[in-house]
Amino acid sequence: MPPFSSRLQRTALCYLILGLALGALLLAVKGLGWPFPYGRLMLLHAELLLVGWLLQFTMGVAHWMLPKHASGPERGPDAPIAAAWLLLNVGVWLAGLGPVLGWPAAVVGAGRGAEAAAVLAFVVNAAPRIKAFGTGREAGSP
Amino acid sequence: MVLGIKPTEVPIGLRPTYLHLFIVGWISQLIFGVSHWMFPRASKEHPRGTEWLGWLAFWCLNAGLLLRAVAEPMNPAATEGWTLVTSGLLQLIAGIAYVAHIWPRIRER
Repeated sequence: MPPFSSRLQRTALCYLILGLALGALLLAVKGLGWPFPYGRLMLLHAELLLVGWLLQFTMGVAHWMLPKHASGPERGPDAPIAAAWLLLNVGVWLAGLGPVLGWPAAVVGAGRGAEAAAVLAFVVNAAPRIKAFGTGREAGSP
Repeated sequence: MVLGIKPTEVPIGLRPTYLHLFIVGWISQLIFGVSHWMFPRASKEHPRGTEWLGWLAFWCLNAGLLLRAVAEPMNPAATEGWTLVTSGLLQLIAGIAYVAHIWPRIRER
């Protein structure tokens, strides 16, 4: 698989472990009634698993498996997918840690913006590769 | 969803269970299964890698999730509290087993 697919997938697997570990801690807090900032950590738990794990892993697999271009770089230029990886991970930490550490809302908003920009960068790379079976095979076509 | 129940109509005490049954039991488990099937072969002798790790992930994920589905809506009395702890640990073990299983099959070419 291409380097950026494996990078996205391996990063997503790290988030899976982190998110499940935090989830196990939250269940222990809930079950045993420990005094803990449950609500704030719940937001981080959701961020790690929904964006860091599910979204990022899906992007990695899609980058690998969507139809390849007939000419030029098989999976399109690397820059958008590299930007997607970077922005998504910056976004996860800003949006996830912001509420836990009491960062200003603007920082959390910047994290959400980075996540949205990551999705846009991914779409720029992936959209031209979504085509009906048998199309785009003419010589010189992307 | 199949029963025509909107998320907002699910009683608050059941919402975490409802969400986790979908997100862990359906989406994540489907990803586990499809990646086990489709990812590059680990080796010629063992194309799907260390299979017992995959089974460990399967059993722990479902045991943990079902334990949670039963225990979480109840009041957190002492015994139910430890049930939630066990449920969380089982799901964490499932995640670690899955990652250990699939990591060697994510290879650049």
